[in-house]
Amino acid sequence: MQQIDIEHFSLTPQQLDSLIGEALGQGGQWADLYFEDSRWFDLLMRDSQVSSGGMHSDFGCGIRVLCGEKTGYAYAESTDYASLLDAARCAGSIASQGSGRSLDFSLGKAPIKGVEVPPKKGYYPMEKSWDECPAAFLSSFLTRLDERIRSLDARVVKVVASLSYSTSKVVMYNSLGELTSDFRPLGSVSVQTIFIQGGQSRSSSVSQSFRCGAEMISDSLLENLSSRAVKNIDRLFEARRPKGGTMSVVMKAGASGILLHEAMGHAFEADFNRKEQSVFSSMMGKRVCREGINIVDDATLPGRRGSLNYDDEGVPGQKTYMVTDGVLTSYLHDRISAAFYGVAPTGNGRRESFRYNPIPRMRATYMENGSGGASLDDLIAQVDKGVYVEEFSNGEVKIGEGDFTFYVRSGYLIENGRLTMPIKDVNVIGNGPRALSDIREVASDLIVDNSTWTCGKEQSAAVSCGMPSVLIDNLTIGGEYAE
Amino acid sequence: MLSDKELKTAQSCLEMALDAGADKVRVTLNRSEENLVATLNSEVDRVTRCCDSSLSLAIFAGGSFGSFSTNKMDEASLKSFISSAVELTRCISPDPDRDLPEPGRCCKDAQGGNELELVDPGRADLDPAQRISAALEGSIFNSVPPLPKGCKVISEEAEYSDSLYESLLLDSNGLKCLHSETSFDYGTEITVMHKGDRYSSYYWDSSSRLASLRPEDCSQRALTKAVKQIGSKQLSSGRFNAVIDSEVASKFVSPLLRALNAFSLQQNNSFLMDSLGKQLFPQSLTLMDCPKIPRECCSKLFDSEGVATRECPIIGNGVVKQYFINTYMSRKMHLQPTVEDATRPVMLPLRKGFSSSDVLSYVGEGIYVTDFNGGNCNSVTGDFSYGIEGFYFKNGECVKPVSGMLMTGNMLSLWSSLIISGDDARRCMSKLIPTLAFSDVDFSA
Repeated sequence: MQQIDIEHFSLTPQQLDSLIGEALGQGGQWADLYFEDSRWFDLLMRDSQVSSGGMHSDFGCGIRVLCGEKTGYAYAESTDYASLLDAARCAGSIASQGSGRSLDFSLGKAPIKGVEVPPKKGYYPMEKSWDECPAAFLSSFLTRLDERIRSLDARVVKVVASLSYSTSKVVMYNSLGELTSDFRPLGSVSVQTIFIQGGQSRSSSVSQSFRCGAEMISDSLLENLSSRAVKNIDRLFEARRPKGGTMSVVMKAGASGILLHEAMGHAFEADFNRKEQSVFSSMMGKRVCREGINIVDDATLPGRRGSLNYDDEGVPGQKTYMVTDGVLTSYLHDRISAAFYGVAPTGNGRRESFRYNPIPRMRATYMENGSGGASLDDLIAQVDKGVYVEEFSNGEVKIGEGDFTFYVRSGYLIENGRLTMPIKDVNVIGNGPRALSDIREVASDLIVDNSTWTCGKEQSAAVSCGMPSVLIDNLTIGGEYAE
Repeated sequence: MLSDKELKTAQSCLEMALDAGADKVRVTLNRSEENLVATLNSEVDRVTRCCDSSLSLAIFAGGSFGSFSTNKMDEASLKSFISSAVELTRCISPDPDRDLPEPGRCCKDAQGGNELELVDPGRADLDPAQRISAALEGSIFNSVPPLPKGCKVISEEAEYSDSLYESLLLDSNGLKCLHSETSFDYGTEITVMHKGDRYSSYYWDSSSRLASLRPEDCSQRALTKAVKQIGSKQLSSGRFNAVIDSEVASKFVSPLLRALNAFSLQQNNSFLMDSLGKQLFPQSLTLMDCPKIPRECCSKLFDSEGVATRECPIIGNGVVKQYFINTYMSRKMHLQPTVEDATRPVMLPLRKGFSSSDVLSYVGEGIYVTDFNGGNCNSVTGDFSYGIEGFYFKNGECVKPVSGMLMTGNMLSLWSSLIISGDDARRCMSKLIPTLAFSDVDFSA
């Protein structure tokens, strides 16, 4: 794991202490500094040519002061000491609003009981540095990808592919005297393909994203993306909207983890619960689904988009069981909510950049395998009339009500235990707690999906989601109305 | 306003890029300040101060194109960054269609930045106490009006912010455009509980002038909306008239604008391919772009290339009148260039003075959609499916709250079933779309 020294930001350890002192000078109970130096690189291929690209850099420091649950936040886009002092005073002014409920932030002091520091190598494999990877190599990957996709299906008329990577150097320091650093790589490739057949157009979108080095730009990635880009296109041309209604839904392993993210994950985020806005805010320790179901949020899966050595409050990445054997056992905490509930932070304090204060966010959220050894086919065989959903897109949730939706790009009707008519472009809507309790069976085929999932709760955050195949009753499928 | 030093920095970056080997360059300098006060249950919860500067470059070198941005604004960092940017641009495949816009198409009347009077000079004098006062002024948590029996407010989260945004565009063809605007925003989310169930709702207001902001309305409206949702349920699936409130009606216009953009059309990624000049919508539909209205939110004299905006029909009496084609796409598609996107789309009302209540009365019976919960529109086919909440209405009156249903259809079919539109578009929104009514829409439950 690469260490970043504070000298990278042209400051000394003594100056960090002085800044913390200034930030707390007006009566704050907690202060932290978040230094960031990020760079992005991107290439875009359109019409078989990599004809645009770019490079972007973002540099600065965010200073936060907490007074009870209240937050003062300011940042500077340079790290000259005078600008940082000004930001520290501005953030510290929150103390003039009083603390309300006093909180003990020392529960988050390292070492946190039961939480290990990240292993020496960290959770981001880096065999090949992005900075040493020539633009020509990355560009040729995109043109080869275009050629491969076009060679696989004669109906392809357009391919738009983008390749991007970022590297972030982060240093964090807080009023407990904890100095933490992280070097975060993130590489992504996305492809949209348009097909035409008999005057009708259809599209597919596929992507892969990893926190790792440039070794991800490989032949196996090219094969993964190109084969998935053209997979099931025959079916998309045949697919129709089903008749809408409430029915049983079998969700394919992998990207169906968006159900967990939207329906449960957000409502388990502790900020919504300490404000009593979440539908789960009074359910800690209670059964939320049947025995044997475990739902986790995990920062420790090597190379995953949602993985983190440390969160953006300097708390080590960890695996957090939100639901254990069907019982709600933990919310996802930042330092504020952890102090509020009197527990250790779970490493979920995340932010989009130094411009934002951290809030509880998910990392890689998934359900562990069911214990019964069931397969996807076993689940489908149990459904007389329902839907099998295979490809997913965006989702949304209303935290208070627990109502969630997510979009299904493609799937099948299930009739008498068999897949029949292909379907497309429907929304699934349900209620988080009810959907949890309506999980009839969980298969043993967990996949954590590696697509470019980005959560948009106030700020953008790279996440992963995953799930074994599941069978859930009583979800509503959007569709045509049958008289 | 942008300082002389900042103007000089932008100019020197343009020269640095040319010196480093660029053939043509566009430089955009953006600067913003924002102060934000969030409250929770009538107490200050968060105070945030933001100050941002960034410099973006569009570099044309050796027939290739690249776009770059940085916020490290010291001279040495800029020099190194720009040198690397030009070098990287040369590694990208040449594309003969990349170019700056013709100077004749570019905006020449944005030399001061405040030509559209979008700046409230009073913002500069606001102090922290006034901001906190403005944030608390809109809160009603401690003075909640009588609620239905068994109903209580669980939380009220409100946020006040004021911001100044300034942008300077320069290019190596001699373009210089400035845009400045202030924005004052207030939004409230209220969650109520009734018989163990939570209902939440949101309302917001925005204006370029502090004096026009109405914080006190936001919390009350959010509370009213949340309370009205108490007991909401699904109806049986069916085909209903749908009335879409002006708060959320842009959901059905945004996909049209995306489909009319040349980036979608050139990639066959549009359900409005070959639509220019065709009557694809009902004659009653006219959608204008009105970008130059002084003091109105989202007005702007130029697009991101510096091309002058102008008032023009996008869809006129149901006929597609305009694609949005930037310089690059115009050369690629051999079509006349326009502005790159709609700046401030305005849908003309079918009935002058009609409110949402008038629309409900006119339509009589159906589902009144007041909010969406997720969903998508397929850009290639126009097929959509959205989660909705709102009310079942009969004889023009809302009779029961509805949630957990899905509204499904196709954009072109939906618009062909337009019954009527109101005259109640909110001026603070980026797209001014009034309440809309459609017939025979599929709702699933």
